[in-house]
Amino acid sequence: MHKIADIEIQHDILIANRKLAKRNQKILDKANVFAVDVLGAIGSGKTSLIEKLIQEMNHPVAVIAGDVISKFDAGRFEKYDVPVIGLNTGKECHLDSHLVEHALQDLPLDEIEVLFIENVGNLICPVDFDLGSHLRMVVISVSEGDDTVEKHPLIFKDADLVIINKVDIAQAVGADENKMVQDVKKLNPDVNVIKTSLKENKGVSEIIKSLEEFMRQ
Amino acid sequence: MHELSMADAIVKTVIEAAEKNDAIEILEVTIEIGQMTMLNPEQLKFMLEVLSEDTILNGAEFNMELIPIEIECLSCGFKGEADSEELDHYIPVINCPNCEEKNMNITAGRECNVKNIKIEKSDEDA
Repeated sequence: MHKIADIEIQHDILIANRKLAKRNQKILDKANVFAVDVLGAIGSGKTSLIEKLIQEMNHPVAVIAGDVISKFDAGRFEKYDVPVIGLNTGKECHLDSHLVEHALQDLPLDEIEVLFIENVGNLICPVDFDLGSHLRMVVISVSEGDDTVEKHPLIFKDADLVIINKVDIAQAVGADENKMVQDVKKLNPDVNVIKTSLKENKGVSEIIKSLEEFMRQ
Repeated sequence: MHELSMADAIVKTVIEAAEKNDAIEILEVTIEIGQMTMLNPEQLKFMLEVLSEDTILNGAEFNMELIPIEIECLSCGFKGEADSEELDHYIPVINCPNCEEKNMNITAGRECNVKNIKIEKSDEDA
């Protein structure tokens, strides 16, 4: 004889990630490290922006380079002689708190003040996965099209800082960078949106100023 | 494709609970999916079925319950269900139903919760 039983589970997979994220943030807070989750589209300039920030910020920096295959970006950061951990996500489209937790164990947190966590180039999947960072910076560029914000509202709704990159080529690719700024503001009225051209070194000091303001909060 | 990693985590959670309760078969699994998550319930169900093969979960029915988005509007103070204009790729664009503003805190709709399972167990185990 068999019997049927109903078993309550109530285990939220996403909340499990958020709990781990909180634990990561505690580890970072204890070490006085300010962590920035750098999200954005493929080819929007996330890696190039972090390279600039490593060179121009007056704080010791470390980087977690997350990618499907991370060695390419990790290799670019290593040239600046900063601690770098490459995180291969393999088939996965986002970093999660568990992967970041392991990377934190391998970083010299006592020696750094700012940690950039470069997420996988993707405007959709990373939204569901907090990592424990203090700030979410979303980087997009005009070359993805000026309807990018409208098509991916959630990532901008959650962002703490938004970068519209490659404004130097806006005209060439037929994109209106000001429309992109307005679209972000409609979703997230108080967020700081910075237009940049890394090639022409425009907007980088403004990003550093904004990051430092967040660090003081 | 984070449906695959989510499905994997769900399968592990369900099998663990089933084994703890001496199940010989899992008949049903009920999962709550928030409408604000980037998860597509149909894709998730497909992944669950694939991962269930050759496990105690094989043949189980997966019930997907969608959890509506609830908000707390920072402009007018409205609390409750949001207006969502569902797009074809499951990314809702939400407005406050009272003042139509978009400046709000999301209080529900971000879940991926394994709610309960229905199992068959032998009487001797009971």
